[in-house]
Amino acid sequence: MVQINLPENSKIKKGKYFKDLTGSKNLRKINVYRWDPSSGENPRIDTYEVDMDNCPSKVLDILNKIKNEIDPTLAYRRSCAHGVCGSCAMNIGGKNGLACTTPHAEIDGDIDIYPLPHLKVKKDLIGDLDGLYKQYQSIEPWLKSNSKSETKEIIQSKEDRAKLDGAYECIMCACCSTSCPSYWWNGDKYLGPAVLLQAYRWIIDSRDEERQIRLKKVADELKLYRCHTILNCTSACPKGLNPAKAIAEIKKMIATANI
Amino acid sequence: MENKPPLSPHIQIYKWHISSLVSISHRITGIINIIAITFICLLVSSLFFGKNNYEYIYLFLSSLIGKFIILGLTWSFSFQALSEIRHLIMDFGYGFELKATKITGLIVIFGSVILTVIFYIIGKNFYQ
Repeated sequence: MVQINLPENSKIKKGKYFKDLTGSKNLRKINVYRWDPSSGENPRIDTYEVDMDNCPSKVLDILNKIKNEIDPTLAYRRSCAHGVCGSCAMNIGGKNGLACTTPHAEIDGDIDIYPLPHLKVKKDLIGDLDGLYKQYQSIEPWLKSNSKSETKEIIQSKEDRAKLDGAYECIMCACCSTSCPSYWWNGDKYLGPAVLLQAYRWIIDSRDEERQIRLKKVADELKLYRCHTILNCTSACPKGLNPAKAIAEIKKMIATANI
Repeated sequence: MENKPPLSPHIQIYKWHISSLVSISHRITGIINIIAITFICLLVSSLFFGKNNYEYIYLFLSSLIGKFIILGLTWSFSFQALSEIRHLIMDFGYGFELKATKITGLIVIFGSVILTVIFYIIGKNFYQ
C-alpha cells in the first residue's frame, strides 16, 4: 500500500561533518546516507568535503576517495567500475544510476547519495535486493525448448535475433525497479520493470517454446498491470534501455494473444 | 537495542520529471473529476424540485469561490482528457522514447491550460 512517510526506525538524522584536511580550494560537499547495523541508531546523513582537484570524473571516484582518504567505514558495492556489473547502483542527486558511469560534473551543487529507494538497508549504501532476485527467478529466465535436441544448435534468423536488442543488454542493477513508485507500493506482487523486461526478453525469443505459458504467467493483474507509465524506469536506466516500452509490448501481446 | 534494517528513503528524495508529474496529476484530476461529476449530477437532479434550487446554484456559481471551482474543474477535465489521449497512444506502444514522453507530457501540461482559457472565453462570450 501507499506509505508516504518513512517508518520510525528509518527517519534520517543529521550525521557527522568531515571537514577538508587537504587545504584544497576546489571543494565539494557530498551528503551520504549512512546506517550501521551494529549501532542500533537511526540512519544519518554524513557530509564530506572532498577535494575535487585530485578526483577523477565519476561519482564512484568520489566514493572511493572518501573511503580511501577520509572515512574507511563507508560501505557500498562496486566491482567493475565500467557500467557492466551493475553493483554500484544507487540514488545520486535524486535519480537512480550507476555511480561508475555518472559524471559528478552533471550534478549541480552538493551531491546527495542514497541507497536505491524503498529497500531494506543492509549497511550504508547497500540495499537488500533478495526480493527482486526471487521475482527474477519466478519468471524462469532460461531457454525452454523441450522438443528440440539439446545437442544441436537452434537456428535463429537475423530478424528474430534483432528483437532481443534492447532487452538482453540489461545488467540487473535494479535502478529501474527501485525508481518505480508502483514497485515501491506493491513490490511484493508487482514484478517491476527490471523483471518484466527480462520476462519480455524470453517471451519474444523465437527459440523459446513456452511463450503462451510465460504470457499467462505475467498476465496476472498485479504482476504486470501495476505499470502506469510513470516512466521513472526508462529515465533511470543506465544502459539506455526502455522497460516501460517492453511492459507495453507485453500488454499488447496479451490483449491480442487470446489466452 | 533495535536492529531492524531501515527502509531507504523513496518518494522523499526521488527527483520529479515530466512523466511522473503528469502521471500523478492524471490520478488526482481523475479523482477530482469523479467527485465533480457526482456533484454536478446532484445539482442537476435538484432542479426537479423547483426553480428556487436553480437560483441557489446560480448564486453559488457566480460567487468568487464558485468561479474558482468552475475554472479549476475546466482545467482538471482538460488535463484528464489530454492525458488520457496520451495514455491511449502509449497503449498502442508508441511514444515511449524519453524525448517523446517529455514532449507529450509538456503538450498535456500546457495544452490543459490553453484548453481552459479557450473554454473560459467561449463560456464568457457565448453563453451569457
